[in-house]
Amino acid sequence: MKKRTRNIIRISTILAIVVLTGITLWFNFTKDNATTKVGDTAVDFKLKSLDGEEFQLHEITKEKGVIINFWGTWCKPCREEMPDLNQASIEHNDDDVTIITVNVSEKPQQIDQFLRGLGEDMNLTMLLDPNRSVTKAYNIGPLPTTIAVNKSNKIVKKQEYQLTKEDIESFIEAVQE
Amino acid sequence: MELKEIKCPHCGHVNSPGTQLCQSCGLMINEDYDKKKIKDVMRYDGSAVRSKVKSQSIFDKIWIFFTSIRNGVIIIALIALAAAIGTILPQQYFIPIGVDPEVYYADNYGTFGYLYYKLGFHNLYSSWWFVLLNAMLALSIIAASVDRGVPLYKSLKNQRAKKHPSFFRRQRLTLNSDEITKENIDKIVEGLKSKRYKVTEDGPHLLFEKGRLSRWGPYINHTGLIIVLIGSMLRFFPGMYIDEIVYVPEGETVEIPTTDNKYYVKNEKFILDTYDKGSGSVFDKSLAMQGDLASNYQTNIIFYENLSSDVVGSEPDLKEIDKDEIRVNHPYKFDNYELYQSSFDNSSMKSMTFKLVDSNDKQIGEEFTVDLKDPDSDYSIDDKTDIQLRAFAPDFLEIGKKGELLSQSPVPRNPAFIFQVNNETLETPEISLLQIQNTDEITPNNEFKVKFVSMENEIATVLTLKKDLTMHMIGIGFIIFLLGVFIGSYINHRRIWINKEKGLSIAAHTNKNYYGLKKELNSVLNEHGVDSVNDKDEVEHNDRMKG
Repeated sequence: MKKRTRNIIRISTILAIVVLTGITLWFNFTKDNATTKVGDTAVDFKLKSLDGEEFQLHEITKEKGVIINFWGTWCKPCREEMPDLNQASIEHNDDDVTIITVNVSEKPQQIDQFLRGLGEDMNLTMLLDPNRSVTKAYNIGPLPTTIAVNKSNKIVKKQEYQLTKEDIESFIEAVQE
Repeated sequence: MELKEIKCPHCGHVNSPGTQLCQSCGLMINEDYDKKKIKDVMRYDGSAVRSKVKSQSIFDKIWIFFTSIRNGVIIIALIALAAAIGTILPQQYFIPIGVDPEVYYADNYGTFGYLYYKLGFHNLYSSWWFVLLNAMLALSIIAASVDRGVPLYKSLKNQRAKKHPSFFRRQRLTLNSDEITKENIDKIVEGLKSKRYKVTEDGPHLLFEKGRLSRWGPYINHTGLIIVLIGSMLRFFPGMYIDEIVYVPEGETVEIPTTDNKYYVKNEKFILDTYDKGSGSVFDKSLAMQGDLASNYQTNIIFYENLSSDVVGSEPDLKEIDKDEIRVNHPYKFDNYELYQSSFDNSSMKSMTFKLVDSNDKQIGEEFTVDLKDPDSDYSIDDKTDIQLRAFAPDFLEIGKKGELLSQSPVPRNPAFIFQVNNETLETPEISLLQIQNTDEITPNNEFKVKFVSMENEIATVLTLKKDLTMHMIGIGFIIFLLGVFIGSYINHRRIWINKEKGLSIAAHTNKNYYGLKKELNSVLNEHGVDSVNDKDEVEHNDRMKG
């Protein structure tokens, strides 16, 4: 074999195997942690609210930044941050921000029961995700998870634990930037 | 052998003492090399070319590392060892669904389980180091094949019919005879030709050859292995290989994962048949000795296509495509997918039935059933009485500060209810809290009592969704592999050299089955009155026996 041919065969074989192994491992690693990250484009979705009204994310973001809070009535931090979210939503009613909550696969009975116990007028848009389709599309892990989406549909902030009042303010700031 | 450095007469490279073949150009520099061997001394054709030259670049070093048979065997041994260890504990695929594997392995198998998980043995085939080992195996197979296959190809392509008399002497099967007529030699040549040998002539020198394909057996089966490895690599590529669990409670319709919201499946009915114990068949006796024995697991499904291509979360527009009965080993097939019956689950609660009794324990009206997943708020049990569900917790934790029922999960595992009984005879409604095996009156001295009657479980089918576009490739790879093994094992590469310059000299070589070659050769020779060939092995064997 000519030295040149030999070198071409050796180098191309080794490189091909290294590249293919790299791609394989990359696919393998990204398969399980495909969580939504800050910087990703927010997947569009359409869900019905507790009142039966239909909301579509990309329609809302045409005008305002959106904060999406994924929650369940059985999750204690979710229950605790709900009044704060509601309060913030009332205070920032005239700002360029909408706060949306997405309930993960519970029936209206449970949510109504929770809201009755809370005894507050809800200014929040309460959406239902009965089949977890949006929850899955956003790869939501623990509850509560809160995501901030700005007007150009970019995710600008994400938090996977309870929000303090300060956290809520910084979310509101982030979507308006 | 004198311990002197040997300068190669061809390229001038100075080799260390004892070198047989020049490390630079591969020329045989030790004249005595394999002279002492008396038989089967066909050196590996072209072996000198292989990797004996000084390595230069990093690529050469990697390449030479992987051409080594020893290193190849070490890689194979490591893969076998890892695969063996991977069978000691169940793979992640087989542990209960939804359990955190880190906790599961540590809890069930202790420190060993913890290490097992940490090192990735719980998911062996997709752990990074196992993938890497397979990549190394692929490189080893390719490098070793190229480095041995190319020289082999060249040496087999440019074979010369003319061989030195010393070559003849070194072969295992030989014959020298001066007493054969020219006519007979020609007849022998014709006889061999009729045995389907390919003949190369160079004056009085003849080379008969057949079954050269045998030499390519290992390379063919290596090609098959490479195809298998590529196929198993493709399983990691998105959309090539899918193995998912689809959990469908009876009566519900769910989206089929990985189909981009295109397909839905409804579980119309789950059927579990058992063998009839009194059928009068020969199996009655053995059936009587054990509990119910399942004869059929079946899910009756309706398959839907979603015509709406709207965004995530929007209502699907389902069109019925098909109805089918999925039974074990009879999957429902669509596109490149298959839906298999895998198991069923009846462990989750579906509903609870209650009755209302008065102070004399006499039932009032009809029983009522509360759906634990989506409860109604009112239950009318007769004309005068209705029962309101004031509050409900599917997985009761505690009573909150404001008297609300708190649940620790959305799954109905430990339901609790607050019922309000409204009856015409009552001045104020009676309220009570019901839990499993416990009732607390919230209003005092209640006349009526809600009593638990029965609980119904939900039956859900567990299907597995499979898609494997790599199967054909892996199948073809294995067929080629087996073809290679067959060619390498059952075809013999036979070569016979004849020199008819002075009388008749014959030497014969084969890569396997000398017995067969000898028989074939002797049948031609004996037919024309020539003695059988000498077999050095046989002579040696006989000598030893006489010993």
